Amino acid sequence: MAKKKGRRPTVEGELSITSMMDMMTIILVFLLKSYSTEDISVKASDDLEIPLSSAKKPPRLAVNLVVTRSQVLVDSVPVLSLERVPDEETGEEIVRVPEDEKKGQMVSKLYDRLLEKAEYAEELSQRAGTEDSEFKGQILLQCDRRLPFNVIREVMYTAGQAKFGEFKFVVIQGGEG
Amino acid sequence: MAKKRLGTAEELNLVPIMNLVTILIPFLLMAAQFISLAVIDSTLPAIGPPQPPSEQEDDDPPLSLSVMITDEGFTVKGSGIDEIVGASEDEGEEAGPTIPCTVQGCPTPDTYNVAELTRMLTEIKDLPGNEDEENVILVPESRVPYEVLVLTMDSARNDPSQKVDGKSRILFPFVVIAGGA
Repeated sequence: MAKKKGRRPTVEGELSITSMMDMMTIILVFLLKSYSTEDISVKASDDLEIPLSSAKKPPRLAVNLVVTRSQVLVDSVPVLSLERVPDEETGEEIVRVPEDEKKGQMVSKLYDRLLEKAEYAEELSQRAGTEDSEFKGQILLQCDRRLPFNVIREVMYTAGQAKFGEFKFVVIQGGEG
Repeated sequence: MAKKRLGTAEELNLVPIMNLVTILIPFLLMAAQFISLAVIDSTLPAIGPPQPPSEQEDDDPPLSLSVMITDEGFTVKGSGIDEIVGASEDEGEEAGPTIPCTVQGCPTPDTYNVAELTRMLTEIKDLPGNEDEENVILVPESRVPYEVLVLTMDSARNDPSQKVDGKSRILFPFVVIAGGA
């Protein structure tokens, strides 16, 4: 027994990592293929499910307006919270913009933030002075698929007032097109 | 020297490569995008003074196609398409939807009959004089879910059953969303 104990350190057991290497190489190639340099990203959550669509047009960088079932974000910064109230007719829970945040159809806080963004973008484009960088009022809209149209309408109206007139609805590619 | 080489099979030291790959994998996993995104263009309806009527208006009025989305289905309106949409004598809400949902009350987005809408819009596009028409106005009701809006835009944009140069036939790709009731 004592003899065996003495022998152990001399035997060097080497791990064969060739098979592991094979696996890693395959994973590496797969990940490199799905590597994306897309301009926008979607943070999936329970409150934000982007609808599927047959549209194929790739998104381009623009101001990113996200409307989830609980809040509205502009370029990842929360602007206001939405409330859930039971519907007067059906009793189902519906999402809406709180009444005290609105002036008619316009959502005041969102308008201020978007106007800031629009003015900043206009200033940038004036400084750049090229045709490519011209401010066209493009805005990316990521909305939850279950949101009722009146929330979207109010958000769109507000964006329209804040110089954003070209809407780009972000969807997940899928289905026939 | 040659004898010694043949005798002992030297193994390649893969450990440094392994280290490199192990570092690369988490980095690539973070940057990997497993879903691909797309965008649907839309604009606000133009607000401005009414345009002076053109001389041709009486002979050939513009199509001004609009699709209303309600909790009963789709209502298609436009000039010169009464035969296709089967417009009844009743006006307004009395008339009911042109394409009702497959289930009364449209409980889920799947119950909207988008296939029938695509078929009808294809027929409208086939009418003489409408080949160049590309605009459609969507008028959704307040409670219509956003998903239905996207479905409607999809079915109005192209017809997957007809192929032109290997792609779906384009119907009305320019969507304007008007604030409904």
